[in-house]
Amino acid sequence: MRVKKTGRRGEGANPVIGLPLLTQSQERARTEGLRSVTDGRLKLYDGRADNVGRFLELLRRRLTRPLAASLAGCVHCGMCASSCHYFLVRPDDPTMTPVYKADQIRKIFKRHLDWTGRVFPWWVKAASPADDEDLNRLKNIVFGTCSACRRCTLNCPMGVDTAALVRFTRGLLTELGIVPEGVFNVSRDQWETGNQMAVTREEYLDTLEWMREEVEQELGEPVEIPVDREDCDVLYTINPREVKFDPRSIAQAAKIFHVAGERWTMPGWGWDQTNFGLFSGDDSLGGWVAGNVYEAARRLRAGRIVISECGHGYRSTRWEGYDWAEFDQERPTESVVVTVERSIRRGRIRVDPARNAEPVTFHDSCNIARSGDLVEEPRRVLRLVCSDFREMHPNRTENFCCTGGSGLLSMAEYRPLRMEVARIKAEQLRATGAKLVCTICHNCVDGLTDVIKHYKLDMRVVQILELTARALVLPGPDPS
Amino acid sequence: MSRFLHVLENEVQIAALVFLASVYLLRVVWLMRFRSRRMRTYPRGSAAGGVALSLVNISLPWSMESVRRKPFFYVQFVVFHLGVAAAIAATFIIPYAPAFFRLRPAVLAFQVILTAAFLVGLLRLYRRLADPALRLVSSADDIFSLVLMTAYFAAAFLAVPNDHLRREWTLILFFGLTAFFLVYVPFSKIGHYLYYPFTRFFLGRTLGHRGVRPAPRSEK
Repeated sequence: MRVKKTGRRGEGANPVIGLPLLTQSQERARTEGLRSVTDGRLKLYDGRADNVGRFLELLRRRLTRPLAASLAGCVHCGMCASSCHYFLVRPDDPTMTPVYKADQIRKIFKRHLDWTGRVFPWWVKAASPADDEDLNRLKNIVFGTCSACRRCTLNCPMGVDTAALVRFTRGLLTELGIVPEGVFNVSRDQWETGNQMAVTREEYLDTLEWMREEVEQELGEPVEIPVDREDCDVLYTINPREVKFDPRSIAQAAKIFHVAGERWTMPGWGWDQTNFGLFSGDDSLGGWVAGNVYEAARRLRAGRIVISECGHGYRSTRWEGYDWAEFDQERPTESVVVTVERSIRRGRIRVDPARNAEPVTFHDSCNIARSGDLVEEPRRVLRLVCSDFREMHPNRTENFCCTGGSGLLSMAEYRPLRMEVARIKAEQLRATGAKLVCTICHNCVDGLTDVIKHYKLDMRVVQILELTARALVLPGPDPS
Repeated sequence: MSRFLHVLENEVQIAALVFLASVYLLRVVWLMRFRSRRMRTYPRGSAAGGVALSLVNISLPWSMESVRRKPFFYVQFVVFHLGVAAAIAATFIIPYAPAFFRLRPAVLAFQVILTAAFLVGLLRLYRRLADPALRLVSSADDIFSLVLMTAYFAAAFLAVPNDHLRREWTLILFFGLTAFFLVYVPFSKIGHYLYYPFTRFFLGRTLGHRGVRPAPRSEK
């Protein structure tokens, strides 16, 4: 679809608002007759369809009470502006405020569902999208200028959940195929293969075997990475990035579990705890992916689901996934950080902080700190496994996004803007003076690595498992 | 007191209040018609605690970074809403407890609050028109509501001496504006206080259930 320049008042400075909708991947998926396309799970853009009408129908059908309250409750006070890293870096661009972004869906809500907006739209700035170009413009705002970090939500005096509104709007557009190509591609892979990096079962099993051999070699004793073993205490689920790009974290987890004597297994199916439905706003994808994990735990009668270090994966599997899948939680679901901390506290593993002597700081993942519940646990582990832990400021629920959140890493077209607004994060990192920045999120690993490279910072990204595995004191004769 | 003012202070206000309550009731029914999802996860924290904290969040200025960074803005907020409370209180005190405003200190106290609120109203109006980010999102209703509130503070300032013998027009202006307000508010942004308990409840319930709120402060 070609897009004409919007020319709307105040939007001149926005560098992404006019980007076109690219549909080559969608065309290819249609031509290839992918199963997820033919059975209607993966939605494609149809330029001849009444997309605006469908958008409005979906808006009416999907709106929930909390979202309606957030749409109706905003008073345009502007307090959210200073909490947003996009606006902090681009203060002269009024389209970067959270309130402006949320208003793009709010004005449609007002025009079609709110009393005053339906009768006097001009009085309350209510408006309807005129055509697909308007929907594409909306796509660029909700996908390209917001990492859904929820900082504005926690800073809103009214309690308006702008991040939830952004995700909701993304979901409506995803249903019409009006999405960035990266979002389409990852959704396609997850629908088609059950994991978002299209890892095959063979690749998965081969990688586990490879890592098992690595750990076995390192420890010098037989080690298992069990798959589909029933009645274990721990069902360990991972991020496909670990299989595809950096399987060391699987080995680190295996080493820790082995030394701790955990009865654990990994599922042969339902092992991907990540969930692109969180980013695309597609609850059906979210429910299916999370449901795969829950079903695996039920099938294998696992004691608990343990989620490897992943921000959105933790949030999706621990919290939203149960709602999307309409699945009542049956067993504890926890981050591997909690499992590691428990093992240390109970004396099942011993750690030596001197082995991590470099200064380490901690980056709170937005999905875990502001939408999840883990802020102290990783810090407690870091204090046990590192000798020089220092806080980043601000931190915990006030931390800034790594700027790669909400799937932005997969949306290449928004990368220049993302790197520009990453200045806030770079300044935060630099001020710590740390050589290592630890995060419990794979997405943040990539996001922070981008920031470090772009702003030429002298540090690298690590995760809790890496630091714990390095600090691990193996059982044996006491050297003293 | 003229018959006109008497009717305006009593019957008209009551009718307008009934209208306001009816529209609000319909508004709540409208909001409740949207579907809600029950929580299916084990709690990490307390949903009730989260809701309680969320509802009083506005009185805990240190709890939000946005407020900590702009303490003067918070002071403005407090003064503005004290002005609103004073003006609303005056609409009941004048007809039902007129003796109260025979006390000179009471009148003075109200006038001080209303003057401060009036000045804040002007400041906020300037901010809304001068700040490009706010201007971009502001609707006619946003600006009109602010002008109306600011004018209302001025009208309340003039009315609280309750001098219906020499300056009846001040009371007619105040109660005329009040009646207009009561009818207009549910359709404008001024009605945000209706949504406040809902937005704060929903957010507080989620964050409380997940153990995000109450949250530890950013550690120094």
